[in-house]
Amino acid sequence: MPHVMISSKKCTGCHMCELACSAYHEGAYRPSVARLFSECNPTTAAIKGHTCLQLGCAKCQEACPNDAILTKEITVKVKGEFAGKEKVGDTVRGYVLVVDEDACTNCGECYDVCPTGVIHEHPTREVAYKCDLCDGEPQCIAFCQNPHVLAVDLKVDKKDKELAQA
Amino acid sequence: MDFYQGKVLRIDLSAGTSAVEPLNMEWAEKYIGGKGLLLRYMWEEVPPKIDPWSPESPVILMTGPFAGTGVSTASRLVVGCKSPATGILNDSYVGGSFAPEMKFAGYDAIIIKGESPEPVVVTIKDDVVQFVPAMPKYWGLKTSAIEEAMRQDFDAEAKTLSIGPGGENELVWACLSTDQYHKAGRGGHGALFGRKKLKAIAVRGTGSVTVGDAKAFLADMYRIHTEFVLTEDNLWANEEGTPVLGQIMSDAGVIPTRNWSSGSFDGMEGINSDAFIKIRTKNRACYQCAIGCRQFHEVDGIAGEGPEYETIAICGANCGIGDITALSKFNQECDELGLDTISSGAVVALAMDLTEKGVKDFGLRFGEAEGYLKAPELISKREGIGAELALGTRALAAKYGHPELAMEVKNLELPGYDPRGSFGMSLGYATSDRGGCHMRCYPIADEIVGGTLPPDTLEGKAQKVIWGNPAEGMIGENFSSVKFSGIWCDFWAITPEQIAQIFKHAWKREFSEDEVFQIGERVWNLGRLFNLREGVEPDDIPQKLYAAEGAHTTGASAGRSIGTATFKAALQEFYQLRGWDENGVPSEAKLAELGVDVRL
Repeated sequence: MPHVMISSKKCTGCHMCELACSAYHEGAYRPSVARLFSECNPTTAAIKGHTCLQLGCAKCQEACPNDAILTKEITVKVKGEFAGKEKVGDTVRGYVLVVDEDACTNCGECYDVCPTGVIHEHPTREVAYKCDLCDGEPQCIAFCQNPHVLAVDLKVDKKDKELAQA
Repeated sequence: MDFYQGKVLRIDLSAGTSAVEPLNMEWAEKYIGGKGLLLRYMWEEVPPKIDPWSPESPVILMTGPFAGTGVSTASRLVVGCKSPATGILNDSYVGGSFAPEMKFAGYDAIIIKGESPEPVVVTIKDDVVQFVPAMPKYWGLKTSAIEEAMRQDFDAEAKTLSIGPGGENELVWACLSTDQYHKAGRGGHGALFGRKKLKAIAVRGTGSVTVGDAKAFLADMYRIHTEFVLTEDNLWANEEGTPVLGQIMSDAGVIPTRNWSSGSFDGMEGINSDAFIKIRTKNRACYQCAIGCRQFHEVDGIAGEGPEYETIAICGANCGIGDITALSKFNQECDELGLDTISSGAVVALAMDLTEKGVKDFGLRFGEAEGYLKAPELISKREGIGAELALGTRALAAKYGHPELAMEVKNLELPGYDPRGSFGMSLGYATSDRGGCHMRCYPIADEIVGGTLPPDTLEGKAQKVIWGNPAEGMIGENFSSVKFSGIWCDFWAITPEQIAQIFKHAWKREFSEDEVFQIGERVWNLGRLFNLREGVEPDDIPQKLYAAEGAHTTGASAGRSIGTATFKAALQEFYQLRGWDENGVPSEAKLAELGVDVRL
């Protein structure tokens, strides 16, 4: 299933993905509410990316007592410019996990089980929020500004490719 | 409010209290942020002629309007104080992620005054400010340990601005550290933190910075970054970084060698870029920066960042050290202890010189790593030879009757460019508003790196020092003043036109290139007024850097001298071009033309 990954080897820790994510979803630069984050240790320079693995994990969906985490069909197009060159992205069809805000009661079950720590209570609306792949145009990938390689990228598995060809 | 948070946090360490007040937006409109706004606040907040060590002498942390907005390299913080080393203004810049975190917590500036009765750490989580005793757990920790402690004890995402043992012992070149390797390095802000018994400020911000239409702004910044940041002009900093300057400066006779006794170093191959690349491991970026110039290395299993060029020059060549392993360890020691490497290397080189000249035996000799590697810790603790080295170059050289061996301007040790190899630097050092500094103007860019101006004449250089040479990428004092008000990093060779494009987003109006330069000139003149008010030494540099008898006898710049009369004449030309009188006092007409809103 399509999901975003941050490469710990390629990421420089500039946090642009978090800024772009919050600009898209919150209309302001607010990395504390970004749907992904890059955990950087300043001393060792070690980086650990935290992103939602969508259906490849789905622990939030399993834990939800209210069926508020929905599986939604999505077509993802990686789009953007990269170091002056146009990013040639795949179009991938697959599924994404989204929060049904009408059904969500903010009970917190999913917050406790998420292995990457990327589903939380929204600071102003009393519901969970998570990565929804920006309706098919992930902003974190579009605005990754590593000067040499894409550090934030879309990962797909065999099932996605089969779906895309179908 | 977009771009600005509109809030200043005041911290009173004597009372253990804090208060929030509105940011002065009239000043922000005139002076932008960063350097300009810092100097305007300093004019108001520093009581005239105050002893910098007194509790009422503030340390001010100032962000720029673009910190936290994704504008490349603009995540820098400037720290300001009346320097205990120079007695004049000191603005010191630091990257990393502290300034954006401060903005996300809701503050454009933090003004710190008073003196805590006991060592203290101040934690700020959005609008909650707490004073936490630093004894016994935090006082005494090195910089990596205090940051780790803040992540453990306060907030996993805390960004910390701290002092190490050097600051605790009030060393006048103690710096402030953040993200461990990032230093507000020069002028002794760390010493004032030490005197105020402030070990660290740790901040966590969960709020937002607004920019109007965030998506449109992001898209325009991405265009600007792609067209103007991710280019050959800037990516040298990512690919090779400042170590590349080492060999260039040695070949040109510019690198200070063995306490400024030559401009070319015979051991350069041991510390040049080729040597550094062998120990280099990876690159990291400051917050919101596309370039990613932070070069990490590993020696003997220990990871560290740097050394950058100034350290290579002053702690390497200037100490006769031609071994990248020893140099990297010295650099790491200074980082952990919270010491400025330029002043540390300079005073060690002076002690080596005094030892070899038979004046006083400090057990330090040029090129010998053993004593050299022990020096930073001894200095930070003021123990053994460190007790004397902690005096700094001016006082140490004077104590032993050799003031001519101290290479400083206004009691700030000189960085890694010998003006005998690049004449323009002489004026740059003499007129720098914080003493011996290479960051106000950079004639090196034209005289050495670009080769577009002759390095062995001062003719026409006063003009270049003031206005730079924008076509060739050389930064002058006026332009650096507006660039550092943004606050953009030196490593983005941003142009006035690009600054105008970004300012337009913040102020919703057009800016001409002339206006961008004028803001810079306004800021520079404000700084001059501050220095005159506080009592600044005459603009000069160590005589041997321009006098005929001071010429080098070895290296690529051997035999060259500016000449005393030529140097003095160029300084007068500089004053005249600036609209200042023969003593460097700005005229009323100039201040009025620039719209400077204070007077002596």
